[in-house]
Amino acid sequence: MHSDGRAPLGLTLGAIAGLLFLHLPILLIFLYAFTTEDRSYQFPPPGLTTKWFAVAWNREDIWPPLYLSLRVAAISSALALVLGTLCAAAMARAKFFGRDTVSLLVVLPIALPGIITGMSLRSAFAIGEIPFSTWTIVLGHATFCIVIVYNNAVARFRRLGASMLEASADLGANSFQTFRHVILPNLGSALLAGGMLAFALSFDEVIVTTFTAGQQSTLPIWMLNELVRPRQRPVTNVVAIVVFAATFLPILAAYYLTRGGEETAGGGK
Amino acid sequence: MIAAVEFQSVSRHFGAVKAVDQVDLTIAEGSFFAMLGPSGSGKTTCLRLISGFEMPSEGSVRIFGEDMGTVPPNRRHVNTVFQDYALFPHMTVRDNVAYGLMVKGQDRRAREGKAEEMLSLVKLDGFGDRKPSQLSGGQRQRVALARALVNEPRVLLLDEPLGALDLKLREAMQDELKSLQQRLGITFVFVTHDQGEALSMADRVAVFSEGRIAQLGTPEDIYQRPATRFVADFVGSSNVLPPEVTAAVGGPRAWASLRPEAIRVVPQGRLRGTVTGARYLGAGTRIEVTAGALPRTPEYFGHTENGIAVLVPAGHQVPEIGSEVALDWDAGALHVMEGEA
Repeated sequence: MHSDGRAPLGLTLGAIAGLLFLHLPILLIFLYAFTTEDRSYQFPPPGLTTKWFAVAWNREDIWPPLYLSLRVAAISSALALVLGTLCAAAMARAKFFGRDTVSLLVVLPIALPGIITGMSLRSAFAIGEIPFSTWTIVLGHATFCIVIVYNNAVARFRRLGASMLEASADLGANSFQTFRHVILPNLGSALLAGGMLAFALSFDEVIVTTFTAGQQSTLPIWMLNELVRPRQRPVTNVVAIVVFAATFLPILAAYYLTRGGEETAGGGK
Repeated sequence: MIAAVEFQSVSRHFGAVKAVDQVDLTIAEGSFFAMLGPSGSGKTTCLRLISGFEMPSEGSVRIFGEDMGTVPPNRRHVNTVFQDYALFPHMTVRDNVAYGLMVKGQDRRAREGKAEEMLSLVKLDGFGDRKPSQLSGGQRQRVALARALVNEPRVLLLDEPLGALDLKLREAMQDELKSLQQRLGITFVFVTHDQGEALSMADRVAVFSEGRIAQLGTPEDIYQRPATRFVADFVGSSNVLPPEVTAAVGGPRAWASLRPEAIRVVPQGRLRGTVTGARYLGAGTRIEVTAGALPRTPEYFGHTENGIAVLVPAGHQVPEIGSEVALDWDAGALHVMEGEA
């Protein structure tokens, strides 16, 4: 593909420096989960140990935030899957006045700074006298989760094309059968990818959550509070590894799923 | 006999656009019917009115005598071969073909047996396990055909069925579709903008123009005896002569059509002129003869002013550009178009 096969030296060095800049701090987080020193982040670590994993496991204040985070992420991505898919189906199939505007409004929450979303939700909850609960956090997260699912689904719907849905109806299928046998199998990987991305985004969200959580803390908020206190610091790093796994793995899976989806959709043409 | 499809003054409006305008149409059972016309002439909308993807704004569509009213596509005994085939990419060829039977609730064994039967009908034995993406364009077309036929429709609709195929394959498929239709005895209705395709396959042709049927007849009627200027020009690009010109070449004072291939270059003839252009077509050369003696009219249709197109068959001497020639034709070749006032 390349005639000389090599990028200029300067570019290569720049790329390496960029990658290091992006990823070295993450590696440091991993490293400090194993340090023997628990008051300050001393480099290099005086010694390595795995005891912090056991300590973290036994710390009872970690479990409620973890459960809350998992619950919120699961509920808001499930909610987003249903609403985002329905929204995408309506946008892709129907033509109506103001369709583009509605489409923009659906996508807007992700462009909106989280702090604005958070503030507006908080004042709305205050006006409506709605007490803070899991559901207020879910509502805040759903605003951006729906967009993620919608974006994934709407792109796939467009590729699906009208004629395939017409072919299904032409062959005698009712709309439920068309959804079950034609739309869902073609949309499946896009929805799975959208759902996982939504889960990952919800799991480590801080800004909107601080406005909608009240006294509850999700795992990222617990971490933020923990960093201020100089006690058993590596425990926070252990939790960071958990958060990393819970968000990175779904994103990685989503990346591979949508990539495969493009290939099959393109191959059908 | 009840007609397979009947349109009673059917219109379909999209806002201010009359896509189909007061069309009356009868398609006999067992016929191979072509809807021919340029894009935007309303032919595809007519097809969709039969399949049920469009509802008439006015008038009624009857299929075997039954008013379709608002019957949805999935309850009509009509199936369609779509222009882009619209195969389901996630299913095997066999599941694609069996789809119509599956949604009706037939068990797997029965529907797969029937699907194999259909695949062998379209000469795709052994392709059942493949995915549509592993097939060539021609093979996908056959799958689309088998899938539409599996429900044993009483009318099969084909939307530009051969449009995406290359010339050689297109001709082979034309013969195959024709023989398939004769064997099955099903009414075929197909939409095309290719006049050659319509003339060679159909036994009845409706030529569409601006939402109306300009002429309906056998391929021979349409070609030999075009009713309007539009039909004469669209189907095989004829010489369309305004009344003054028809009169000047010995006909009545009326619009007439004169096929380029009906005109011969001769030593002495009805008309003299100068060769002003030539285009080599393979099977012949189409020359343009400008006859100074013809009255000039602003309405010359299709060709340049005062120019007459003449097809010189291959093997005949092609006169050089600039030379003087005489033209002649049989008296019957000059066809007066009743459809033009």
